[in-house]
Amino acid sequence: MKATVWSGRNTVQVENVPDPKILNDRDAIVRITSTAICGSDLHLYDGYVPTMKKGDILGHEFMGEVVEVGRGVDNLQVGDRVVVPFPIACGNCWACRHELYSLCENSNPNAGLAEKMFGHPTAGIFGYSHLTGGYAGGQAEFARVPYADVGPLKLDDDLSDEQVLFLSDIFPTGFMGADFCEITGGEVIAVFGAGPVGQFAIASAVMLGAERVIAIDQYDYRLQMARNRAGATDVINFAEDADVVEQLKALTGGRGPDAVIDAVGMEAAHGHGALHAVDRVKQATRMQSERGHALRDAILACRPGGIVSIIGVYGGLMDKFPTGALMNKGLTVKAGQCHVQHYIKPLYERIRNGDIDPSFVVTHRLELGKAPDAYETFKHKLDECVKVVLKP
Amino acid sequence: MHMPPRPVDATLHGVVDYQAGALLTTVLPKLAGIEGTRAARQIRTAGAFHAGYSTVTDYPLGIVKLLPFKAHLALDAVGAVALAATPFITGQFKEGRRQWLPHVALCLFELASLAMTDPTGRGDFHGDVDAVREANLEDPHRKIYDGGPAVVRAA
Amino acid sequence: MSNHAAITVNRSREEVERLWNAEVNGTVTFADAPGDRGTEIHVELNRSGNPVSKLLSTKALAKVKDELRRFKQRVETGEIPRSDATPEGERVERKFKQRPAQPLAEGELEKAGLS
Repeated sequence: MKATVWSGRNTVQVENVPDPKILNDRDAIVRITSTAICGSDLHLYDGYVPTMKKGDILGHEFMGEVVEVGRGVDNLQVGDRVVVPFPIACGNCWACRHELYSLCENSNPNAGLAEKMFGHPTAGIFGYSHLTGGYAGGQAEFARVPYADVGPLKLDDDLSDEQVLFLSDIFPTGFMGADFCEITGGEVIAVFGAGPVGQFAIASAVMLGAERVIAIDQYDYRLQMARNRAGATDVINFAEDADVVEQLKALTGGRGPDAVIDAVGMEAAHGHGALHAVDRVKQATRMQSERGHALRDAILACRPGGIVSIIGVYGGLMDKFPTGALMNKGLTVKAGQCHVQHYIKPLYERIRNGDIDPSFVVTHRLELGKAPDAYETFKHKLDECVKVVLKP
Repeated sequence: MHMPPRPVDATLHGVVDYQAGALLTTVLPKLAGIEGTRAARQIRTAGAFHAGYSTVTDYPLGIVKLLPFKAHLALDAVGAVALAATPFITGQFKEGRRQWLPHVALCLFELASLAMTDPTGRGDFHGDVDAVREANLEDPHRKIYDGGPAVVRAA
Repeated sequence: MSNHAAITVNRSREEVERLWNAEVNGTVTFADAPGDRGTEIHVELNRSGNPVSKLLSTKALAKVKDELRRFKQRVETGEIPRSDATPEGERVERKFKQRPAQPLAEGELEKAGLS
C-alpha cells in the first residue's frame, strides 16, 4: 500500500509499504477513506521529537471502512464505517476505567522509553514516534487498529468524511481545552493559537456559553477564519503588536481573561525580542526542546484565580517558566493529550444535531501522493492553509 | 529526495553569529595566545561589531528586524575580508605568525559559513505551492471568508 | 541505583497471586493498593554487590520492569501490545534496534512468530 513515511528532518515521502495485518485478537484493519495532517505532525517533521526512524508511517487522524476484525472484536463488523481516536487505549486499566484514555497504562510497547522521558509511560499513539509505541500511522491506505473494541466510533448517518474526520483528534482536543475552562456562561476565554485545534477550542468555548472568545495568532487569515467561521468575538494579531498581555487586559477591562487556552505548544513562533532569540538559539542547538513563549504569555495574561488550559503539545523541558506568576496569582493548570474516547460520542451527537460543522477548517483537500508538498505548504502557512485532508 | 540548496538556514546562521561573536569578544584572543596585543583588540572589535549588527538583522534571531538578511551576509563577507587584511595594512604581520594567522583563519571560517548559508533568509522551504494550489479540491479563500459561522452559540 | 521495581494491577490480590507466573530474578511481594486501585506487585532485585554486576543491573532492572508490564497487560487486557516497531511486544534488547513504524512484510511476520 501507499503511505507517507518520515524520511529525515523536513522530509516525507510517499512510498510503497506492506499492508497491515492482524497481530492481536483485539485488532481490526481499516481501509482509510480520509486522513489529515496535524499541527503536531509538524513537530515530527521539524525534527523536534526524538526516536523517529526513517520509514515510520505518519498520521494519527483517520477514518474509513472496517475490512478485517480479530477474533476478540464483537462490536465491529466488516463494512462498518468508523472514525478512529488517536490515543490507543486498552479500556481495562485504571486510567481507561476512569476515562483518562490518553493515559492508558497498557498500550505503549515502548513504555520503558517513555518512562525515561516523563517519569511514567502514557498511551500509545498512531504514527507519533517510537516514544509512543512506534505504531504505524494513518496517512496511508490501510491501518491496523489495536483494541478495536474500545477505540473506533461506528458512524451511521449521511455525514461526509470531512464532517466527522476531526472526531479523531482536533475537535475533541479543542473541546477538551474549552471543557477545562469550566465555562458556566458569561466568561471571557483567550485562545492562544488559531490553527485547527485553536479553531475548535474557540468554537467549543462558544458552544459552551463563553460570552467572549479572543483568538490570538500572527496570521491574519487564521484570525479571519476564527472570527468568520469559529465564532471568535475578538482577535489579536501579535505580529502587529507583540504585547499580547496588555492587549488582553485592554479587552477585559484590565481584569485579564477568565481562562486561557494554549493551543500552540512547543514551537511558539512569537517572542519578545531577546527572550525569543534565546529560545530559538537554544532550541536550534537542542539545549532546550521547547519554545514556550505562548505558555509564558498565557500565564501572565490569565486573571488571578483563573484557569490555564494546555492542549498544545510539548515534549520536554522549557526555560524561564513563570512559577512566580502561577503560584501568586493562584492559577489552576489543566493539561493533557485529549481523552478522545471520552468525548467522541457526545461530540458526534453535537455534529448530528447541527450545533457545529467541523468541515469549516478544511482549506486543502489533496490526494495522498501530494503529501510532501502539502506538509511544506502547511508548515509555512502558505496558500491560506489551515487544515489539509488527504485522500488515499 | 529533497536536497537543500545550502544547508545552513537563517536560524542556524544566527546561532553561529552569536556564538562566534561571543567567542571572539571573550576568550579567543587568549586561546590564540595574543592576549594584550593590538591583534586581540582587532579581533574583539570584529566580534562585537558582528554580534551587534546581528541583533538588528531581519532574520529569526534578530531582536530588532532592520537590516535585510542579504545585507547582513554582505557585511559578513566584507567584514571577514577586512579582518584578514588588517594585519597586513598595519604592518603587524611582521611581528610573527600569531599577529595575522587568527585573522586569516577567522576570515576563511566566515567565508566557508557564507558559502553554506541559504541567502533567502526564510528557511529551507522546498515545496511546490503551485502544484498544491492546482491539485486542491477545496477553495481556501472561500472557506475562510464565506459560509458564515459554523457553530451555534449556547442558548 | 534502584533495586526495586513495582507495578499495580487492577485486580484483587487473590487473583493476582493466583495468576502470577513471571520469572524474575528477585524477591516478589504482593500488597493491596489503596482504594480501588487493585494489587501492587513489588520486586526486590537480587544483587551480588560487586561493581561489575552494578553496571549490568540497569539492564536487569529494565528486564524486570518489562516482565511486570507484560504480566499486567496479559491480566488486564488479555494480550500484550504489539506495534509495528516492536511486533514481539516490549523487550529491553529491542530498545535501540527497532523496526520502522510500518507494517511487517510476510517474511518478517514469520520471523516474529506472528503469521
